[in-house]
Amino acid sequence: MFMNNYLEKLPSFVDTIESIKETIIANIVLIGQIPAPTFKEKRRAGIFMDRLAECRVDECTTDGYRNPIGIVRGTSSSKPPIFLIAHIDTIFARDVDHNFIVEENSITGPGVTDNSVGVGVLLSLPEILRKLKVRFQSDLVLAGVIQSIGKGNLRGVRHLVKTWPTPIRGAVCIEGIELGRLNYYSDGMVRCEVECNISALNGVKHKFKPNAILVLNEVINQILKLRLPQRPRARVIIGKVAGGFKHGDIALESTLGFEIQSDSDKMVKLIFNDIKDIIEAISHEYEVELTFKTISNLKASTLTYNHPLVKSTRKVMKELEINPAGGPCESELSIFLSRKIPAITLGITNGENHHQKNAQVKIDPMFKGIAQIIGVIMAIDSGVCDE
Amino acid sequence: MNDSWLKKNTFHYSEFTDISRLVEEKKKKNILISLCLPTLNEEKTIAKEIVIMKSELMTRHPLLDEIVVIDSGSKDNTLEIAKSFGADVYEASSILPNLEQFKGKGENLWKALYVTKGDIIVYIDADIKNIHHRFVYGLIAPLLLFDNIKYTKAFYDRPIAIGKSKIRPTGGGRVTELVIRPLFSLFFPELTQILQPLSGEYAGFREIFEKIPFPIGYGVETSMILDICEKWGLDVMAQVDLERRIHRNQDTKALGKMAFVILKTFFNRIEKLELIDLKKDIFSEMIQYNLVKDRIKPDKLEIECFERPPIETIPEYREKFNIG
Repeated sequence: MFMNNYLEKLPSFVDTIESIKETIIANIVLIGQIPAPTFKEKRRAGIFMDRLAECRVDECTTDGYRNPIGIVRGTSSSKPPIFLIAHIDTIFARDVDHNFIVEENSITGPGVTDNSVGVGVLLSLPEILRKLKVRFQSDLVLAGVIQSIGKGNLRGVRHLVKTWPTPIRGAVCIEGIELGRLNYYSDGMVRCEVECNISALNGVKHKFKPNAILVLNEVINQILKLRLPQRPRARVIIGKVAGGFKHGDIALESTLGFEIQSDSDKMVKLIFNDIKDIIEAISHEYEVELTFKTISNLKASTLTYNHPLVKSTRKVMKELEINPAGGPCESELSIFLSRKIPAITLGITNGENHHQKNAQVKIDPMFKGIAQIIGVIMAIDSGVCDE
Repeated sequence: MNDSWLKKNTFHYSEFTDISRLVEEKKKKNILISLCLPTLNEEKTIAKEIVIMKSELMTRHPLLDEIVVIDSGSKDNTLEIAKSFGADVYEASSILPNLEQFKGKGENLWKALYVTKGDIIVYIDADIKNIHHRFVYGLIAPLLLFDNIKYTKAFYDRPIAIGKSKIRPTGGGRVTELVIRPLFSLFFPELTQILQPLSGEYAGFREIFEKIPFPIGYGVETSMILDICEKWGLDVMAQVDLERRIHRNQDTKALGKMAFVILKTFFNRIEKLELIDLKKDIFSEMIQYNLVKDRIKPDKLEIECFERPPIETIPEYREKFNIG
């Protein structure tokens, strides 16, 4: 009954949210223009805190890992808090021009899709809630987590959730794109890097000096020959390759980055061991040293499709005419789920050129995307995660 | 030269980050503040300027009473974009249409005086890539907090955007260093304390702007400083360090044209002040040269340096603002 009450309000929320679009866009731009490559988020975290303080949140602090956090106090002191999370680090180096371009219906700039829109919306929430005249029983914890991407290995959110002193009622992870994404499970994952460095070898060892790129090419070929099962689902994604100096010189250094993903942790481990064997064999066969490193890992964790949080979120999306699209999500979500805290990841708007310097998001769909977040917080506050 | 002005009248924007205090001061003094953005084909930067100023200095802190865009005839979507984000948009040609029409930044600034309602007017260039509300509150603050200050001017550490995504840490201000500073050193050494006399961001009280002439083009910044200094003295001016400003870089030929206009404006002023006596009229044609297929060809451009008179002398303005 209560659920339907707030569902009906959601479409009208969209216009109210749009009425403060300048505030939302300004937050996206002002936070997004501060470079924040993983491990170097200090300045952006500082601005995050300043903006939250200016928004007059009830409490503004950092946790022991320097994740910036704002708290909007709820009406009940007995209800556990609801977490709203957006990672503040980006894949772009400091010397990249981070100035955004705002046009009639778009914002363009490096990192805008991942995750300036998410962070900007998080910063705008106190103002949006005031405008909507909405209050919750639970406290809202607005956290911009650091060290999420790549080698950051979700350290910020891991620390935040691990050390939070009270139970957590539920969590919503906010990503810039795509509107309609509804992630409620994360696959088991191991992210690995293989390095081949020929120059470190003794020069007289080889009759013909091996080529570091071709050695890793052989590693890739062997990985591709692995027979991966249909059930449990499993895959290996070859995501990054780098190496060599000049067109005409034999490459002496090369690096390969890949991820093993499966909904079974056991399968991830089996594939990991297979690849480890491949690397050892190639290292022996080519007489080169291959360094194999694990840079991050996640355990598979899931809510069911029929979990009340997932069901309520689908209802919220339906009310706002957003088509839900599922899929696993290897991000902050997995940290909550692995600790049995109901959580989902949602996208705010539509965009393109994801992870490129000219990444772009649309402005118009954003307001629906934000209304959906408010709807889901209302659902959690009404108790859908409490069972 | 006495450099006490530099010490006394130079501020850093970080001294004024308490915007609520500025709003209180504004209320106490019962004054209105207008932001004017002169534009010509600024579709890539105008929205961001409006959005940030509206969000931070109208919605969050009611420091500004209006944002006005005065356009010189943009061919891109500048006007539509500015309107869509809620600015009051005017084509310069539609303001005081009975007067002879000119095109130029100075023309836009002058006409802004007619359409804006503020007691303080802040002028900000519309091509700033790293726009931040400090550009505006930093200029307004000394005007609100110090009764003797009537005009504020920005200065920066000015990186220039190079290539698509890299920023060079220093540079800019070539016309200032090669043209204006030598001229000021020769004729008005005390004005050399103004670190970036050509910066496009300044603010002041209407009572100042309405009493000075406005060259229609690039000369407006130079003439403004000379005229204000002559009428009211250097002490009514202040400069504010706004730290970084990232803007489009201009090629040397374009800067040459800018220098031409500034020199002409300067000569005009020092002749009026009887500091020099030109025995004949100076020319109004800028001549540059291009190498075209191994032949050197002149590239001539007629640059008339018109000036608008003090706007308080215009009957329509006097009527609108009840000047007896």
